[in-house]
Amino acid sequence: MYKWTLRGLITEPVHLFSSAGAVGAAFALVLFFEAVFAGESDQIVEYIRRTDPAVWVMQKGVSNMHMATSFVWDSKADQIEAVEGVSKATPILYLNTVIEAGDRNWFSFIVGLPAGDGRAGPWSIAAGAAMPGATEAVVPAVLARLAGLELGDRITIAGRQFSVAGLSDGTFSMANSVTFVAMEDLSDIMSTFGSFSYFLVDAEPGTDPEDLAARIRNEVEKVNALSNEAFIESDWKIAMQMGLEIVGIMTVIGGALAILLTGFTVSSYVSRKKRELAVMKALGVGNASIYVSIMVQAGLVALIGFIIAVLIVFLAIPVTAAVIPQVTLSVRPEALLKIGAAAFLVAIVAAILPARSVMRVDPVLAFRE
Amino acid sequence: MQKKTNNILCAEHLVKTFGSGHTEVRAVDDVSLTVARGELVAIMGPSGSGKTTLVSMLGALLTPNSGAITIDEEEITSLGQTGLANLRARKIGFIFQSFNLLEALSLEENILFPAHRSQGGVTAAKPRVEALMERLNLTERRRALPKTLSGGEMQRTAIARALINQPRIVFADEPTGNLDSYNGQEVLMILHDIARDQDCAIVLVSHDPQIEEVADRLLWLEDGEIRNRKTERHSWVRDPVCGMRVDAWTATLVADHAGKRYVFCSERCVERFKAEPVRYISLTEPTNTQS
Repeated sequence: MYKWTLRGLITEPVHLFSSAGAVGAAFALVLFFEAVFAGESDQIVEYIRRTDPAVWVMQKGVSNMHMATSFVWDSKADQIEAVEGVSKATPILYLNTVIEAGDRNWFSFIVGLPAGDGRAGPWSIAAGAAMPGATEAVVPAVLARLAGLELGDRITIAGRQFSVAGLSDGTFSMANSVTFVAMEDLSDIMSTFGSFSYFLVDAEPGTDPEDLAARIRNEVEKVNALSNEAFIESDWKIAMQMGLEIVGIMTVIGGALAILLTGFTVSSYVSRKKRELAVMKALGVGNASIYVSIMVQAGLVALIGFIIAVLIVFLAIPVTAAVIPQVTLSVRPEALLKIGAAAFLVAIVAAILPARSVMRVDPVLAFRE
Repeated sequence: MQKKTNNILCAEHLVKTFGSGHTEVRAVDDVSLTVARGELVAIMGPSGSGKTTLVSMLGALLTPNSGAITIDEEEITSLGQTGLANLRARKIGFIFQSFNLLEALSLEENILFPAHRSQGGVTAAKPRVEALMERLNLTERRRALPKTLSGGEMQRTAIARALINQPRIVFADEPTGNLDSYNGQEVLMILHDIARDQDCAIVLVSHDPQIEEVADRLLWLEDGEIRNRKTERHSWVRDPVCGMRVDAWTATLVADHAGKRYVFCSERCVERFKAEPVRYISLTEPTNTQS
């Protein structure tokens, strides 16, 4: 029976691959959206990941950076540095706002850097300076390319003019980019004299970041402290939550499409092979055996569709990077597992659709011309 | 008593109707018959006489409205779908007019297909498949797919498939209907030998007059009833393509050309005729014409 099932599929390769390809496209759509949101989320936490302090210190009640506002008095700097295990506390100012450049507005995280201290600055420079001077900005190289900016060109941040002094790599994504300016300029814009947004805390060698964060929380009043790992996780979750609904809707649409396509494939196979099914029944094969073979067939179509989807998405990663550099794709193992489980469910549900047709095949049909 | 145990098939007062009220058709009307071991029984009759309906009921494919059927001393009309499927797998073989081989499977796999449902499964059936292929001259074509086989080879494969589980009875519906006269004759002789050598009953439905030469007994079905055959209604003519004798009164394979009707022994002959009617008419006219 299984030989008949497998051979039946193999002997009709056009049917098989057109069906599995369509199912694969539906799964690829879901995987692609998931990868876009995961990639964006990765990019959103890229600044935190790359600066890589042991601990982040922020205003009490705040636990993330993305879309957040935090104020910590400058007097806390000495208290943080006094905590056992702290080697250095680097303050930054931070603002979510838009940059006007090249007739367009670009949403950006603006980071104000202390003069002469590049600890919290860009980690890779494509051109120009890494540290912005007064009324200077270091912008993402991708943004500069898209906006047609060159070194020395003017941009507007929160109504103030800055000149482009440097171009950084790895600091751009569709949802946001990271722009660096001098702390004094950003302090002027934010009117936050005497306070900072975050402290990047570096630890003495051998210090556990979690322990250090706990000590800072205990010893310094009105601040929250999170290890870099915990801070990334917190921000990543918030970024992903913003895309959850869209990813969820796409998963439902993609899953429903895959069920319909697989169900249609198996139903049309049953319809085409009605006479053979009637012959099998006449020869003594029961409904249950035929139904199991139909389920195996649906499973194979879904499995091949899943493999095609994975191939499509992994091929899309380098192509997307070359054609649309502002889009970052990230395929997570959890997403692959999720789609794999969806493919299994699709096979089961899709096999239910033609079950009635299988049951209704009359073995007497084998006698008819 | 001895006679009863010798019967493989016993049908009593079978009735099958289709539709209801004004549209009710009594396809089989109070038919009773018995078939003994080693017997080859032919059921003949005009088109629409209920032959296929009768064979479908006898072969446990269709449930009668009333009456009883016993196969190998097992009453089958009370069996459910699973019981009937098991019975067909173990005790019944089928041969169809259009061969009905599974096109994705090779010749050998087609023959072995019903063995999955038999006692001992495929492993136990392997020696039997070798013997059947040898006997039916199919060994060298064992790996061939049905689409590459000739009509004769396909029907011999179907015969081997029907016999693989060593059934008590084989039902054949127009087994020569799609074959030329040579292959049709060969298939009938094979069925005759099987009934004789394997102690297996064969019930054969056909329009083919050659069947009379091999059948042990002939049943005439008309309007759903078994009747005495009206021999005076024969109208023997020659198939214009192969020259085989065909009863124009019962034949269903016909083709019209130049205002005349011609009857044929098989689909293949009809197709050949339709391709080049002038060639065949000149050979046989006016013997084979029906007004």
